[in-house]
Amino acid sequence: MKTSWWVRFSALLVFIVLSVLVLLPTVMKFDEKGSYPIKSKINLGLDLQGGLYMIMGIDFKKVYKDEVLTYARKIEAVLKDQEIVATPGTMDLSDLMDPKQVINFAKASDVEAAKKKIKEFYAGVIRITREEGTLLEVALSGTIKKQIEEQSVGKSIEVIRNRIDEFGVTEPEILAQGNDRIVVQLPGVRDIERAKELIGKTAKLEFKLVNDTVAPDVMMGWLDKAAKAGIVFKKGDRFSEYLKNMNEFLKADLPEGHELAFEKQANATTGVEANIPFVVESLPRITGDDLADARVQIDPQKNDPYVSMDFKTAGAKRFEETTGGNIGRRLAVILDGNVYSAPVIQAKIGGGSAQITLGGGANFNKTMGEARDLALVLRAGALPVQLDFLEQRTVGPNLGTDSIEKAKLASIVSCVLVFIFAVVYYRFSGAIAVLTLMLNVLFTMAILVALDATLTLPGIAGIALTVGMAIDGNIIIFEKIRDDVRSGISYAKAVQMGFDSALWTLLDANITTAAAGICLLNFGTGPIRGFAVTLLIGVAVTLYTAYSVSKIFFELYMNKNQGKSLSI
Amino acid sequence: MFELIKVGTKIDFMGKMKYITFGSLVLCLISAYGILNKMNYGVDFRGGAEVQVKFAQSENLESVRGALDKAGFKGVSVQTIGDEKDNSVLIKVQADESELNQVTEGITKNLATAFTGNPASVEKVDIVGPKAGKELRSSAVQAMFWAILSIMIYIAVRFDFRYAPGTMVSIIHDLLLIGGILAFTGMEFSLQIVGALLALIGYSVNDTVVIYDRIREYETKNPEKSLIDNINDAVNDTLSRTIVTALATFIVCIAMYFLGGGAIKDFFFVLSVGVILGTYSTVYVAAGFVVLSDKFSKKNRAHSFNEAKNITN
Repeated sequence: MKTSWWVRFSALLVFIVLSVLVLLPTVMKFDEKGSYPIKSKINLGLDLQGGLYMIMGIDFKKVYKDEVLTYARKIEAVLKDQEIVATPGTMDLSDLMDPKQVINFAKASDVEAAKKKIKEFYAGVIRITREEGTLLEVALSGTIKKQIEEQSVGKSIEVIRNRIDEFGVTEPEILAQGNDRIVVQLPGVRDIERAKELIGKTAKLEFKLVNDTVAPDVMMGWLDKAAKAGIVFKKGDRFSEYLKNMNEFLKADLPEGHELAFEKQANATTGVEANIPFVVESLPRITGDDLADARVQIDPQKNDPYVSMDFKTAGAKRFEETTGGNIGRRLAVILDGNVYSAPVIQAKIGGGSAQITLGGGANFNKTMGEARDLALVLRAGALPVQLDFLEQRTVGPNLGTDSIEKAKLASIVSCVLVFIFAVVYYRFSGAIAVLTLMLNVLFTMAILVALDATLTLPGIAGIALTVGMAIDGNIIIFEKIRDDVRSGISYAKAVQMGFDSALWTLLDANITTAAAGICLLNFGTGPIRGFAVTLLIGVAVTLYTAYSVSKIFFELYMNKNQGKSLSI
Repeated sequence: MFELIKVGTKIDFMGKMKYITFGSLVLCLISAYGILNKMNYGVDFRGGAEVQVKFAQSENLESVRGALDKAGFKGVSVQTIGDEKDNSVLIKVQADESELNQVTEGITKNLATAFTGNPASVEKVDIVGPKAGKELRSSAVQAMFWAILSIMIYIAVRFDFRYAPGTMVSIIHDLLLIGGILAFTGMEFSLQIVGALLALIGYSVNDTVVIYDRIREYETKNPEKSLIDNINDAVNDTLSRTIVTALATFIVCIAMYFLGGGAIKDFFFVLSVGVILGTYSTVYVAAGFVVLSDKFSKKNRAHSFNEAKNITN
């Protein structure tokens, strides 16, 4: 044999050994802590091992709307200390990307004072768009909008990652897509509903003082009135929406600067949920931003879990002031608009820490879970903006296992069928083709593992399909050899000519397939991407196995029998 | 040698061109009608929610639908999925973007109260908001467009501009006919189908390239023969390879279709049909179109030649 043959043959052997080494951890199910140097195993896609895939989007129009109102409220709070009454009025939504909020004042002289304060506190954040009599119209500045756009996705990803890390998912993938999309992939998650809930939680924590001057039956009267006007909460509605409508409707009845909030309570015996109304101040005394840390603790006497919180310096001071100045009143702990609890302030609470108890009495594990989630959400921070779920795909773990078994069996059957076909049709040459096809699968799998690519269900299909299409390479060469043999050319020469003339055909055919594969890669969501990846790897490997590897074997065989015969 | 196609087979493929072209054209038009009017778009493109649940025992589809209708879900459709013994059903509902997030929970809760003796577990959920559906639709069209364009450019560069239109027309022909079959059988058009179609573009072009390669070879080897004769020879001489490759790929697709399980069934249905169509279109549409674009380019060449002559005179 020539030296060049030996070089090519050795290279092939090296590739085979490398592939086997790479695949060993996957096949033998090696432990990651073992002494074997290669750690990577084949990554299974969400469709095979179960899990959650979702795309969330940020609606900046809504964000700006909320943001401009929040600033109006902040201005209101700042002016309140100056004894100036400012009330946010209507919002001009003619340009959804630049909403303008009206603030009304009692007298024209207040407007000037307000302008001064706005300049002092919110220069570069708020711009004044209109000024008329006792009215001031404000909007967000361009800088702040740009900042929001740039930071929303990044910050949201950070928060989501924090929450998921605590949830204990191995290899979560959280990626930005453009400046208003986030893709989250959580493979192997069992409790999908809980994961979803955790990610989507906005977790806005507020402490608001309760106004107990309104008697309970007065509140009940309001609710009846609202119900008669068609404002009722139905299952499946958004509670926040209901709450908003309710407060809008009762605006005239509620004391100035107050709003209605509810505590959801399930009756321990009947399980029926009831909403207990509270009249609370509109402006929160302390918010989640003031929080430094939150964790779960267990009351040793009652064996009830509770969440203990530590405030930052400024927050601690405000908390001390609020509790000190309002002893005997109730302070509502409001999370995402719902009252969690409303304990009576017994004494001035200093030292910068407080507790939230969680109803208790119910199932310990359930309360514990709730406490843990609450602490987690409080600690990991709130999402800077509201995220809308645009796309959500989940696969249960059983379905994945079932699919993988079926696809594996089908792939093996289809490969064996192709092998039989090849041997029947091309005899000995067919056997060589089968050998190259097997090597093709081996190499493809090894490259998948080495590239840390993900194997999905369509990916398995892609491997099977590659086998079907890879044999095309062999067929092109074999048919050419057959043609030449028929026209009287010697076997040895025919083999050489067959390989030479088929090379470009093979290249053309596979490059065009690869072109389609690349388009598929750019288009695809998870599973289809997996198909594209295996298809592309398959194409590259096919070029090597169908041409180079089978050439090695043919040359060996022709050399052995001095080119006298060939079973093709 | 074991041969499917006997040596020396000479089928006059190009001779029947006229009738075949007419037939193909009619089928394409019917398919286009079907795609525009009858296509059953899946949740990926239309938006909505699809929930696959598995009951402990078999459950009547009508009562499942009834229970969900009563619970106030819109556009409920329920069908069995997978094997009969799996007791799995696929529930589809329509919902707005804001409600979609609660769909899974709503369905499980309602099924739990309606079928107390027969607990159902969620196996798979696909929820696509209307906005995402719209985007997926446009990205699917874009992917196909770029696939076809890049292949055309490659063919034009590697072969000749006369070959490029044939490739494109044969791809579009395949896509149209498969689309028509999907539309008229009422099969759901999903993301997976788009994946299968793109894979098919690759396969079909692969097939075409092999024949083009041979036509080009014969054109340089036998310039005295007419293009039609050369094409006929090329198609006949590669026929064995065309059929054997198609058969090998088809074997894989059929095996995967029957054994691969529900999740990839549709994918391989499209590929199985596509392999047959692709083989046909390679011979007739792709090769045949070369004749057409050759005539066109010759006319152009003759025209410019005359112009050149006029100038020298």
